[in-house]
Amino acid sequence: MTALCRSLVLSFCFLPGIAQALTVVDQTGHAVTLPAAPRRIVSLVPGVTEILFAIGAQDALVGVTDFCDYPPEARRKARVGDMLAPNLEILVSLRPDVVVATRSGNREETFDQIKRLGLPVYLVDEPPSIADLLRLVGGLGQLTGRRDAAAAVAAGLERRITAVRQRVAGRPHPRVLYVLWPEPLIVPGRGSLVSELIASAGGESVTADQAQGYPRMSLEAAVGRAPEVIILARHGARTGPAVREQWQRLESLPAIRSGRLYAADGDLLHRYGPRVVDGLELLARLIHPEAFK
Amino acid sequence: MTGGARLAWICGGLFVILSVVALGSLLVGAAPVPPGTVFDLITGRGPGQGTERTVVFAIRLPRIAAAVLAGAALAVAGAGFQGLTRNPLADPSILGVSGGAAFGVVLGQVSGLGQGIVEGLGLTALGFAGALVAGAAVYLIASTAGGLPVHTLLLAGVIVGIFFSAAITVLISIVDTNRLGGVIHWLLGSVAPIPPGALGVFALATAAGLWLVLGQARALNLLALGDEGALELGVDAQRVKRRIFAGAALLTGTVVAFVGPIGFVGLVVPQALRMLLGPDNRVLVPAALLAGGAFLLAADTLARTVVAPAELSVGVLTSFCGAPVFIWLLRSRAGRTSP
Repeated sequence: MTALCRSLVLSFCFLPGIAQALTVVDQTGHAVTLPAAPRRIVSLVPGVTEILFAIGAQDALVGVTDFCDYPPEARRKARVGDMLAPNLEILVSLRPDVVVATRSGNREETFDQIKRLGLPVYLVDEPPSIADLLRLVGGLGQLTGRRDAAAAVAAGLERRITAVRQRVAGRPHPRVLYVLWPEPLIVPGRGSLVSELIASAGGESVTADQAQGYPRMSLEAAVGRAPEVIILARHGARTGPAVREQWQRLESLPAIRSGRLYAADGDLLHRYGPRVVDGLELLARLIHPEAFK
Repeated sequence: MTGGARLAWICGGLFVILSVVALGSLLVGAAPVPPGTVFDLITGRGPGQGTERTVVFAIRLPRIAAAVLAGAALAVAGAGFQGLTRNPLADPSILGVSGGAAFGVVLGQVSGLGQGIVEGLGLTALGFAGALVAGAAVYLIASTAGGLPVHTLLLAGVIVGIFFSAAITVLISIVDTNRLGGVIHWLLGSVAPIPPGALGVFALATAAGLWLVLGQARALNLLALGDEGALELGVDAQRVKRRIFAGAALLTGTVVAFVGPIGFVGLVVPQALRMLLGPDNRVLVPAALLAGGAFLLAADTLARTVVAPAELSVGVLTSFCGAPVFIWLLRSRAGRTSP
């Protein structure tokens, strides 16, 4: 009898928790309803992992991908495998309340599989603009019940962005070629975050009129636009000196003549996390070194 | 020993092997589920819900089923094509059918088609359509007034296969970088847990294909005598060829649509069995069904455990493990029996 009473009391204690169902709209416009604010989150997106740490939601993060290597503490979280084929068994055994996945980097099949296993999926997509990135930070704040912290992070990022824009305001806009991948040549095109970052850093991307997202481009077409600054994205150690040498040989290009061939850490610019603003500051320094003297 | 008893022994033995592999596959995985819990769950004594139940019933079992179906289908298709063409090098990809199916699926992935249709059946339909188009093209190119000459059939298959692989390359070079990873992942061939409805479709299509090929096992033996020889013994060679071709194409198209283009199984499993058991198709085809299922399941189990939590593509593993085994068989049998 006492046991029954105790369980009744206990269940009443939990009722308010049940009543507080949480409905948030993810970045793709789908409503995600959870019984309560998630206390166990698996992130399949390195950028989201970075945002969760930045807004102080790291304790709720129970699983990440092999690519989630920033901040360094992220490496101590359980890993569910790579982004294309996360290990479903491990994912399920982490008992997540919600799984955050991305349309750009994960596969549709993966979302479907996870949903079929009865796990809610909060879907994000590569933000096409800085404003969308800040909205993503806010959205993840909502999801994790850390709105204030997320708002503070977003405001801090916004201040730094404004500062960069003010620094480069009124200066000429050199033609910038950003090389996302050298072979085949992949560049930031229309409506991509990197194109907006280049513009915000006071440059004129010579590929901003290309197809949506991150299209391939012929080397001739890129060279034909006579870039004054060339920025090669580094992805680990693979795209190092060899690629640099290839570009160095194109001596007639204004960028090569004036020695303005740079490398930038791709993780800052292609991962849609808070470090994108570090990437923006880096771009601004490369494009307008005179503004930062 | 009579032929029937021998067949029963061989199939019984292979069935035991398949069961052992399946049981092993059910017990291992990246999630720590104790063997006792697995037994409780499959005998209906386990908990009604929970992580372990999800792992066993929603992840491991559907994946085991998909691997066995795909392996059985590929091996039987391979045995069928080898008998049909009287060429030991024939396999499902040689007749261009898997190329056509792969093109259909990649086309769907690239254009965003096939997404959002219930349980991914859209891509399946596209893959199947591709297989049918390629199969029909090969058939039309190769068929002459005199029938279906084998060397023309092989050549037509190779050409159609090359055409479709070029077409896939074109699609890959124009695909959005965000989708590229997914497409390439799929092209490597990997078994994933397939939802129950789709698994049913997979099983039905496979059963239809198996029925078409298995029913012709005796006639397949007679085809070895040549078309005229077969006719003298009362077998309409053209009709047999059409049925086997349709069945093997159906099997190949289905596998490509559900798990991607997995190579080597269709070539190696029937070959190895022919070396071990002899060339009688009445034994070979049913044996290929069981051995193919066991082989692909074993390969997929390795693929999902050796580098856990990451996973290898099973298509890579079948070639990686299958090639040395095949070479060993070839060398140890060389001189004793001709394949």
